[in-house]
Amino acid sequence: MRLLLLALAATLALAIASLFVGVSDVSIGALLSSSPDDRPIQVLLISRIPRTLSLLLAGSSMAIAGLVMQIIVRNRFVEPGTVGTTESALLGFLIVTMLAPGWPLMAKMLVAAVFALAGTFLFFRVIATVPARDVLLVPLVGIMLSGIIGAVTTFFAYRYGLLPTLLAWEVGDFSGVLRGRYELLWIGLVCAVVAYIAADRFTVASMGEDFTTNLGLNHQQVMTLGLVVVALISAVVLVSVGIIPFLGLVVPNVISLMIGDNMRRTVPWVAVTGAGFVVACDIVGRVIRAPYEIPISVVVGVIGSIVFLYLLLRTRRSAA
Amino acid sequence: MQHHTRISAFAAALMAGALSMTSLVSAQETTITHAQGETTINGVPETVLVQDWAVFDNLSALGVEVDGVPSSNAPSYLADQIPADAIQIGSLFEPDFEGIAAAEADIYLVAGRSRTAYPTASEIVPTVDLSIDNNAIVEGVKTNLTKLGEIFDAEDKAAELISNLDAKVAEVQAAAEDKGNALVLVTNAGNIGVYGPDSRVSWIYNEIGLESAMTEVEDGDHGGDSVSFEYILEMNPDWLFVIDRDAGVGESTGAAAALLDNELVNQTSAAKQDQIVYLDPQAAYITMHGYNGLMLMLDEVLAGLDA
Repeated sequence: MRLLLLALAATLALAIASLFVGVSDVSIGALLSSSPDDRPIQVLLISRIPRTLSLLLAGSSMAIAGLVMQIIVRNRFVEPGTVGTTESALLGFLIVTMLAPGWPLMAKMLVAAVFALAGTFLFFRVIATVPARDVLLVPLVGIMLSGIIGAVTTFFAYRYGLLPTLLAWEVGDFSGVLRGRYELLWIGLVCAVVAYIAADRFTVASMGEDFTTNLGLNHQQVMTLGLVVVALISAVVLVSVGIIPFLGLVVPNVISLMIGDNMRRTVPWVAVTGAGFVVACDIVGRVIRAPYEIPISVVVGVIGSIVFLYLLLRTRRSAA
Repeated sequence: MQHHTRISAFAAALMAGALSMTSLVSAQETTITHAQGETTINGVPETVLVQDWAVFDNLSALGVEVDGVPSSNAPSYLADQIPADAIQIGSLFEPDFEGIAAAEADIYLVAGRSRTAYPTASEIVPTVDLSIDNNAIVEGVKTNLTKLGEIFDAEDKAAELISNLDAKVAEVQAAAEDKGNALVLVTNAGNIGVYGPDSRVSWIYNEIGLESAMTEVEDGDHGGDSVSFEYILEMNPDWLFVIDRDAGVGESTGAAAALLDNELVNQTSAAKQDQIVYLDPQAAYITMHGYNGLMLMLDEVLAGLDA
């Protein structure tokens, strides 16, 4: 508990630092010495606070989506980005943008969520037919499925001249976040809270259908709830900021190594670590080539893959 | 690089001069020097294939009929000039070599996006590469018009177009004097990039003389450097020229305007003085090396500056 508070404090510190990083001059001194209509305060309210909030929201909810996914699939190596959920959301977003460009973002997000749900169900149907639920086969099947859905998406984007648009969605990027343009991400927070409340059910459901039913729980319902949470979070983050790779994979794995697999205990940890990690990566992306920005998906991809490699090698060493 | 183009243009001019003297003697053989070598063509080509919309744009300005065109991304301002029965010879990046071979054309023109097709294509059909360097766009368009004028026996028309272009550039230069600095933005699916003096619209800085509001930009192939709205606020340019990549999405022309209509951009002097100019996205992104596309954008810039 004390450690968790420490992690919380560290993330909070990062978030505060994030408020003071950017092109405009926003410093404590400038804020204190200026009147409420001055630029530093304006920039803080319009740009910095929304950006930091969206980082916290997207980071924590994506990490939790990964955790939920891993628990209900009972596999450490899956996350929404590797089982077809994110790719399906992308396909849905592309199709709704092509057919109904005038729809509000909320409606587009819902279409993306429905596609994400369908894609995730498809994944479950496919792995149900895989004879041995091998620990490596399941993510492999997921990656192949993502590849197929991604190919369909790319085909439509190519045919209709939308490849650059698709690329822009695929690259997670917080540079466009302003007051009034990120609020959908609060839905991610709601989903994360739902995941926390239902944490024990997910843990039980992960023990298998028979076990769950013996304990008087409806296995199907719990699974569906988990899938809806994952699909909604994926869709919200995708339409708001784009794809943030690796997050759902790395953060829950690190936490699991640290404190084990009881979901009620791990949810707060995963949320805090995910948020802190994303804030840190975004700060790096803003600083490294200032005044230009490096998209966060690039930074997360680089750091995330290093951490993941380390995890893989470490696990093998301890198993040997 | 610019130096290099000058030399090859000079060589081409010399060659053309020499040829015009010998043309009375025998069947006309024209040798064209271009970015990837020399190509010899017999007489004035009749069947013409084009893999690049900017080259099509130039040919259309010269009044040359084209028989094969790319299968995608046709700019709408050129739509009524494309023959209905034109054969489609693959996308901007990927030529359909079988179709090209079957067409038995007299000349095949590539540029920019399709320049890598040259080695393969030149074995099938007389091929000319008309690629232009982004840091000398106006010069490059003039060189290409001259070259095409020679190939298609339309030197007079080419000279006329070139003087039109020069006049237009001079007019816009005059209008841009003392109008402050500028920033060229490209919007893409909610993200913003900046274009600099090496980009596909570099002429706004290099030829028109609007000073760039930023210090340095690395111009990538597609989007320019990614920036935040804060960046635009801090640079505070007097003029914003916007290329609406989103317009291709079907969100039509409003997408970039909606994206830029926010509390930070609205504080810049460009927004306050209503000095945001939206360039034709297809001319700016696809046919920026074509005569009509360039003239179209120059007119848009002029209209903005004079407004």
